[in-house]
Amino acid sequence: MNNRLFALATSSIGRKALMALTGLGLIGFLVVHLAGNLTLLAGSDGAAFNSYARTIESNPLLPLAEVGLAALFLAHIVLGIRQAAGNREARPVGYRQFQSHGNRKVSTSSMLVTGLIVLVFLVVHISDFRLAARHPQGLAYMVHERMRQPLGAAVYLLGVGALGVHLWHAFQSLFQSLGLRHPRYSPLIDKAGRGLAVLLALGFAVLPVYTWVASPAKAAAKAPAESTSSAVSGPHDSSPAAATPSVTKEPR
Amino acid sequence: MSADHAPSSGMRLTLNIWRQSGPADAGRMETYHLDGISPDMSFLEMLDVLNVRLEREGREPVAFDHDCREGICGSCGVMIDGNAHGPEAETATCQLHMRSFADGAALTIEPFRAKGFPVLKDLVLDRSAFDRIIAAGGFISANTGCAVDANSTPVAKSDAELSMDAAQCIGCGACVAACPNAAAMLFVGAKIAHLGLLPQGQPERSKRVLAMARQMEAEGFGSCSNYYECEAACPKAISVENIARLNRDYLRAGLTTRD
Repeated sequence: MNNRLFALATSSIGRKALMALTGLGLIGFLVVHLAGNLTLLAGSDGAAFNSYARTIESNPLLPLAEVGLAALFLAHIVLGIRQAAGNREARPVGYRQFQSHGNRKVSTSSMLVTGLIVLVFLVVHISDFRLAARHPQGLAYMVHERMRQPLGAAVYLLGVGALGVHLWHAFQSLFQSLGLRHPRYSPLIDKAGRGLAVLLALGFAVLPVYTWVASPAKAAAKAPAESTSSAVSGPHDSSPAAATPSVTKEPR
Repeated sequence: MSADHAPSSGMRLTLNIWRQSGPADAGRMETYHLDGISPDMSFLEMLDVLNVRLEREGREPVAFDHDCREGICGSCGVMIDGNAHGPEAETATCQLHMRSFADGAALTIEPFRAKGFPVLKDLVLDRSAFDRIIAAGGFISANTGCAVDANSTPVAKSDAELSMDAAQCIGCGACVAACPNAAAMLFVGAKIAHLGLLPQGQPERSKRVLAMARQMEAEGFGSCSNYYECEAACPKAISVENIARLNRDYLRAGLTTRD
């Protein structure tokens, strides 16, 4: 029985099914993660977000959930790389000329690349907010500080952009890999997948954009609190509201 | 090529063809100039003309596979300008005519490329991997006995249609050739659907899908990344729905068979 399961899980169709299932689990995580992130938009002081973070962190089952999530990521990544390597081996001599007529889009042929970009982003993201020491002013403050740095915001936008491109192909593909295809439902699944990819990418992109564009009120509300913060953040205390115009006005 | 056999009339072509003397040869592209080609010739007849001229000049003709030349045996596939079976949709190489190309065109002709399809010579492949996949389970082993009355085994019309659509597969390997992963999923999916949709295919359905998929992998074909190049290249327009059916049948069989 175990041998049978092992053979199933390690066969090429079984591996694709596992990629599909782990991918589906990760999409579920992303939806919940985005919902949590958007609490940053509720009120200007980040209290809702900080309390959401505290609620999660005080849950004794958190380490278990984190191990599960890490396992999902790890399995998806290892299977993806393994699959890509196997597929490369399947055509040792390539064509001089090849013309595509299929469903191949940028998203389809860049799954490995966008996946690896998301992986690099994931490392940055975890070290930024999970492994870094918690600032006394809370997680919302740390997010704000990270997003108002142009490089920080750019890395996040690149990461969620790659994620969006990855998901553009991924969602309908996972249904096909699990053998779920029907002329009546598959066109809907295609559309739903693209819609989900756009919504998730835009949703995650809201935070850096919001921090840059629409947070003067938030910064003003924060100002008194920031005056007590350490000297490290001192030079930036003037908030993005002040920093943004200076960047755009200088050349004139 | 010399122009004395076919003066100014007809099409002029430049052919860049993969030449490889045997499996161990590294191979190379060679260029030939051909003229006097009728637009009404089939692509393979054009290669015949080239080979006659090469032989007259004492050179080795281009080896290519062909048999029925009517689009049903599946032996003739080559890559033409990066298209499996050439530029026309739902057309095997033998059914392709030279009117599909412009006078003066330069054509690149390569063999199908896959680890599972080693090149034997020039454009000729060893496609016995497909035979071994079929031998692993792509059949119904029940004795047929006498011919039974029509309609004694009811088959739903929609199942019969889907099965017959899948049964159109001629095993040419264009799906493998066009797939970026050199996967044989459409071929195997077509066989699974063809047999698995009919009542006669049920007793061996699970055993069949497990064995054929195992053999497919053992032959070194890649896995499906859902590019759907196979469906577009297939001369019989076999749908990628059959790949979903293969996935579904395989997972079901892997999880539920008891023997």
